[in-house]
Amino acid sequence: MQNALKILCAALLPVYILPGCDAVHYTPARSGSEKIIEVAVFEGGYGIDWHQKIAARYSDMHAADGIRINLWGDPRAVEKIKPRLLRGDPPDVLDLFGFPVWVLIGAGKLSSFTGALERPAYGTNVPWRDLFIKGTLDTFTSDGQVYAIPSALSAWACWYDTRMFRKHGWSVPKTWSEFDDLCKRIRAAGIAPVAFQGKYPSYAWNTFVALVQRCGGLAAINRLNAMEPGAFTGPDVVRAARLLQEMALKHFQKGAMAMTHTESQLQFVNGQAALIWCGLWLENEMKNSTPPDFEMRCFNLPAVEGGKGNPDLFCGEGAELIFVPSDARHPEEAIDFCRYLVSLENAPDMAKSIGVISPLKGAMPPAAVSPTLQSVLEMMKDGPGIFTCRLPTLLMEWNNQILNPALAALLRGETTPDVFCRRMEDGVAAARANPDIVIPPYVPYDPAAFGEEP
Amino acid sequence: MKTRGEQRVFIFTFLAPALFLFTIFVAVPSVRALGYSLRQWDGLSTPKWVGLKNFITLFKDSDLFLVAFQHNLFLMFVGGLLTLALSLFFAAILHRRVRGASLFRVAFFFPNVISSVAIALLWVLLYSTTSFGVINSLLLHAQQILAQMGVTWPRIDLPFPFVDSKYVIYSIIPMMVWTATGFYMVLFLAAMENIPETFYEAAKLDGASEFAQFRHITFPLIREVFTVGVVFLVIGSLKFFDAIWVMENQQPTSDSHVLATVLYQKVFTEYNVGYGSAVAVLLFILVFFATLVTLRLSRKEALEY
Repeated sequence: MQNALKILCAALLPVYILPGCDAVHYTPARSGSEKIIEVAVFEGGYGIDWHQKIAARYSDMHAADGIRINLWGDPRAVEKIKPRLLRGDPPDVLDLFGFPVWVLIGAGKLSSFTGALERPAYGTNVPWRDLFIKGTLDTFTSDGQVYAIPSALSAWACWYDTRMFRKHGWSVPKTWSEFDDLCKRIRAAGIAPVAFQGKYPSYAWNTFVALVQRCGGLAAINRLNAMEPGAFTGPDVVRAARLLQEMALKHFQKGAMAMTHTESQLQFVNGQAALIWCGLWLENEMKNSTPPDFEMRCFNLPAVEGGKGNPDLFCGEGAELIFVPSDARHPEEAIDFCRYLVSLENAPDMAKSIGVISPLKGAMPPAAVSPTLQSVLEMMKDGPGIFTCRLPTLLMEWNNQILNPALAALLRGETTPDVFCRRMEDGVAAARANPDIVIPPYVPYDPAAFGEEP
Repeated sequence: MKTRGEQRVFIFTFLAPALFLFTIFVAVPSVRALGYSLRQWDGLSTPKWVGLKNFITLFKDSDLFLVAFQHNLFLMFVGGLLTLALSLFFAAILHRRVRGASLFRVAFFFPNVISSVAIALLWVLLYSTTSFGVINSLLLHAQQILAQMGVTWPRIDLPFPFVDSKYVIYSIIPMMVWTATGFYMVLFLAAMENIPETFYEAAKLDGASEFAQFRHITFPLIREVFTVGVVFLVIGSLKFFDAIWVMENQQPTSDSHVLATVLYQKVFTEYNVGYGSAVAVLLFILVFFATLVTLRLSRKEALEY
């Protein structure tokens, strides 16, 4: 019996030892005085070739200082980074795609770039901050501290095929009424007006946010971002919801609410639908399915009649965000590498190599990008900046449990715009009252700086 | 002749590896999940003890848990009953030695060798509202043929969005039945093939119909296996996850959530580990009691032959 107990104890011993092992920190080997900056990036549709090229160039430039960049990419980079963040041994520079970044900021796990942004940008005497398009640094900014640097720009636009437009004699709408008329003419030509990624109702969120700005100006966006009581039930927001619902019910392609993003985008590039609302990644995402003679171009959300917003602004944000964790082994060198990565020197090459638009002002000579992205530059030309609504990344439960089902119900016509806005308002009020949710202070957009009436 | 002590050592030696793995991968995580359910934790900061708050929130702050549980019950009763009825029906037919029985057996069992994710993707394509969607295409053709015949019923706006969040929970039933029927059919058929043929010969001499033979001979003699099948279905329906997750593109809403998707979303996308663990604990309790009740209700003295 004693032997049996011994065996049992031996079998159970690791059970009690292993759970304690997560306290043991892993320390990678260092080679002499060389500083190895580990950079982890999300390896998605853009690949990591360009990042590797920049990393190699930076390592060569700093070889005398003993600094070397060790860059790796993975489609599941976040899953690999997560346990390392927990045990305090993260890469020096990382991508947190899909991660609850506000939770990390609240837990003090990320470094601020604010100091570096005040220093001159690589190769210029201008402070790094001044190079960024207004609004691109706001995605994860709290209390004056900038926790994320965008290496690309994301903007929300309506896409179309100029070839199809020429054939039918259609033109780009300047107002929402013209947009409505255009959709009617498209339908009359036997084509579905608007394709929609209905399996992800959140694809309508940016269109809604843009409509809120067109109706109520940046003041309305500020109220949403600040989670002010009554922000969602104001007349401008209700009007935006009504316009969105009308577009969905009148102009969405049949069966759109059951289509994935790829299905609906395929409908668009195959000419089954004439328009689609999407981010700047559309061209890259559909490059293998787009016919060679397809002339993909975009236009900004049209002005709403009687609206208070500047119609030249566009809904967007900094994308391909990079972070430096507070537990990074070499935070200063890591931030310096970020400065080099997002610099005027490298932006044109980035655009040419992976087809993205830089968040830096004047960094994009049209020749550096495809004709599709040139239409984006054209759209951006008159806009003094971009705006976004921070709530989906800030209130993840609200996003999953309220926003997505409420948007789906609005788009299907199962709820009125008033009820939709009330639902959103109640959800935000519940989040505001929840002491467990950390709500960082909000720095409002200055309407005057964005060409709007204060 | 081994002593009693030596026998125990022998038994424990063989049990130890399984016990070790079970403890590491099942027992310890389960106990830790119970601990997490009593804490508030985002997976990053220090967990904070909150007692039963997560469980209270489950029922008080939103109806998500109850809605998800209703969806599980819907899958259990509708999907489960259809699966059992069809698998019993097919097993009984194949048991009566129809022509090509072995081919049918393989065909019905085939979905079980495909991964559940692949099956869900296959049905997403079948249900698609684009030109790939076989089901919508068939419905469209049927509607056109009926219209040519002057029949305008049923008035369905096609293509029908089967995988829209609102309808996913219903659209999953045919997929669930198609996938599971083969497995239960093989289970029941194996039990039926152990029944001595003489019982049926005697029944035939007494003039019993095929249905009477099934009711009075076949079903009572496979009842124990049938109970096992019911338990499998109850557990499977309560733990249902992958098809919803795939059909909803990892973003289920309250229209389509089941308990396991709520659990996953709370822990891995909202990083609310405490709340997700509370769902896991309740899911465990529900599976445990549902299995217990099923076994109790079907408890009857086993018939022997």
